[in-house]
Amino acid sequence: MDHTTSTPTTGTGEALRLEGVGKVYGTDENRVVALDDVSLSLPSGTFTAVMGPSGSGKSTLLHCAAGLDQPTTGRVHVAGALMSGTDETALTKFRRERIGFVFQQFNLLPMLTVLQNATLPQRLAGRKPDEAHAAAVLARVGLGDRLGHLPSELSGGQQQRVAIARALVAEPNIVFGDEPTGALDTRSARDVLTLLAESVRAYGQTVVMVTHDPVAASYADSVLFLADGRIVGELVAPTAESVAERMAHLGDMVARRRAATAV
Amino acid sequence: MFALALRSLRHRIGGFAASFLAMFLGATILMAFASMLDTAGGEGVDSTSKETLTTMGAVVGFWGLLLVVFAVSSTLTLSVRRRSAEIALLRNIGATPAQVRRLIVGETAVLAVVAAAVAIAPAMAAGRLLLELLGSTDQVASDVSYAFGPIALGMGMTITFAAATLAALLTARRAARMSATDALTAAAQDDGRISRKRVAVGVVFLLLAANLAAVTATVMKGEGSDAMQTAGQTSIWAGIGFAVLAPALIRTVAALVAGPLERRGPAGYLTAQNLRRHTGRLAAVIMPVVLFTAIGTGTLVMQAVENDAMAASGLVKTNEQKNIETLNFVVIGMIVAFAAIMLVNTLVAATASRRREFAQTRLAGATPRQILDVVLLEGVVLTVTGVVFGTLASLFTILPYSYARTGDVLPGTGAGIHLGIVAVAAVLTVATGYAAARQAMRTPAITAVA
Repeated sequence: MDHTTSTPTTGTGEALRLEGVGKVYGTDENRVVALDDVSLSLPSGTFTAVMGPSGSGKSTLLHCAAGLDQPTTGRVHVAGALMSGTDETALTKFRRERIGFVFQQFNLLPMLTVLQNATLPQRLAGRKPDEAHAAAVLARVGLGDRLGHLPSELSGGQQQRVAIARALVAEPNIVFGDEPTGALDTRSARDVLTLLAESVRAYGQTVVMVTHDPVAASYADSVLFLADGRIVGELVAPTAESVAERMAHLGDMVARRRAATAV
Repeated sequence: MFALALRSLRHRIGGFAASFLAMFLGATILMAFASMLDTAGGEGVDSTSKETLTTMGAVVGFWGLLLVVFAVSSTLTLSVRRRSAEIALLRNIGATPAQVRRLIVGETAVLAVVAAAVAIAPAMAAGRLLLELLGSTDQVASDVSYAFGPIALGMGMTITFAAATLAALLTARRAARMSATDALTAAAQDDGRISRKRVAVGVVFLLLAANLAAVTATVMKGEGSDAMQTAGQTSIWAGIGFAVLAPALIRTVAALVAGPLERRGPAGYLTAQNLRRHTGRLAAVIMPVVLFTAIGTGTLVMQAVENDAMAASGLVKTNEQKNIETLNFVVIGMIVAFAAIMLVNTLVAATASRRREFAQTRLAGATPRQILDVVLLEGVVLTVTGVVFGTLASLFTILPYSYARTGDVLPGTGAGIHLGIVAVAAVLTVATGYAAARQAMRTPAITAVA
């Protein structure tokens, strides 16, 4: 299987759909609109980057789409299933069945070994962990000889690869990355991005990644640009240069608009 | 560094709450009892009253010092561990180990002075109550008037300050010596290995207890209630011995129960890994459980044996025997209450510092219920471990005393007292851990890891 394009492959063919998703923080006098009526649809087997100036709402978008935060309005579907339920337990169960995460700060559990970390989501879901499969995925990310190490004994890049393996082992419908290369050096960042891209191209995984780095975004199939809580553009088959140029424009535009509203 | 210590205190009052509470309570107890010495020095106090008051003041001064050192060092260890990243940062930007030490000791010293000052008013009230109690049992003449003077203030301030600073020095030595990378690795790999020096200290306390137990059973045999002089303190020494060895005890328990626990669902699995790899943190919690159980059971059962023996012989208690009984009930009651508060205090601090760990586990797919199950299961393991070793320590007092007083090694009384103490320890440990964990999970997981 080699998905170089965004052809739908599994299930409904749609990994993520947002319908009019909005998020408002604060009370009436102090309202901050972080997300303003965002709708989007991502086919499965695609690698999408989300970019925007700071304060554009890209982290909020990711958190709402991933069930880590509840949108104020609108609906989120993951692989055709509506994310519902208002309590934490229901959301957790929804997440662990369908969603994988890769965070900037890795968020591996310090007292668990590499292999234990990778199988933890399965254990928490009450399933018998498939250690052979987990070991195979860890070998794929280049950590086959580190299964018994603790996270503190690994470099940042290696820890992030453990986190990617953990996300992939559960074979979720979609993997969300929140600045997954934000805490890494250039070489480790490249390894991590290559792994994410490979999971899409070779294994049909769906990946959505928030980043501020044009080089990181260039690994994706397409880039969504966010400004002031709204999607303001898309770039298919991005290069680092084209993304950087677009971001510069976006930055100018937002600065102008903010200056205008401030007057 | 002292200026930095003051800023650090102002900035992070919450993080110091546990240590502050330990110092405040310690200072209150110390000053309340030390004021008995002031009262004894008043005009027209008869010699019997004087003797009673002096014994009260002197005995508690010593135990108070020991307890405050213990309580403050356990809370400080937790708060310093929580700040290991900040300390590593300070080291990285060029702070020498000596400067880090001064920062931690400076913070603690300021805290101790404030805690002792705040403790003055409650200590006066507690001292007044204590005098009334002694008056109502006729151990002190009812016309003796209460005094809170230089001895109470001096002892309270000096001992609180000395104990807190000593505890800070012990904690800071460890934190300051570590290199930046070691500090981070140590936080993750806290498997409870303890230094040979610490093992030696623990063993010395246990040997001391064993020696006193032997003296009680041989030299003091047939000496009546005088045997309390050696028997009473034995469980305290043994309790301290086990508390010092706590990380090693948890390691042993982990080796025994982690395997079976691991196969009992997600909560059992996580509890097993915590037992194996967060040994130091868990040890900080069992210390007060051990002390609470050891001192509470040891002293109260000993007094129960004594009361039975007195009743059997048909004798009336002398003033001195009454003093000892009051000492046992009031003083030990205070020490036990102190240990109970320390237990809650330590547990709250330990759980609050796991906010990030809980959040990370939730992000990996754990429901809040599963986290609470882990906390409950851990609480059970901690209670059982603490209670078993605390009970063992209490036997150092109970068995020799029973033998010396009645000729039987096993006392004919005390099962109810023991059960009551165990129940209190269990409820405190499990309920506090549960409530603190619920509190720690109020923040959304994604915010708590940031």
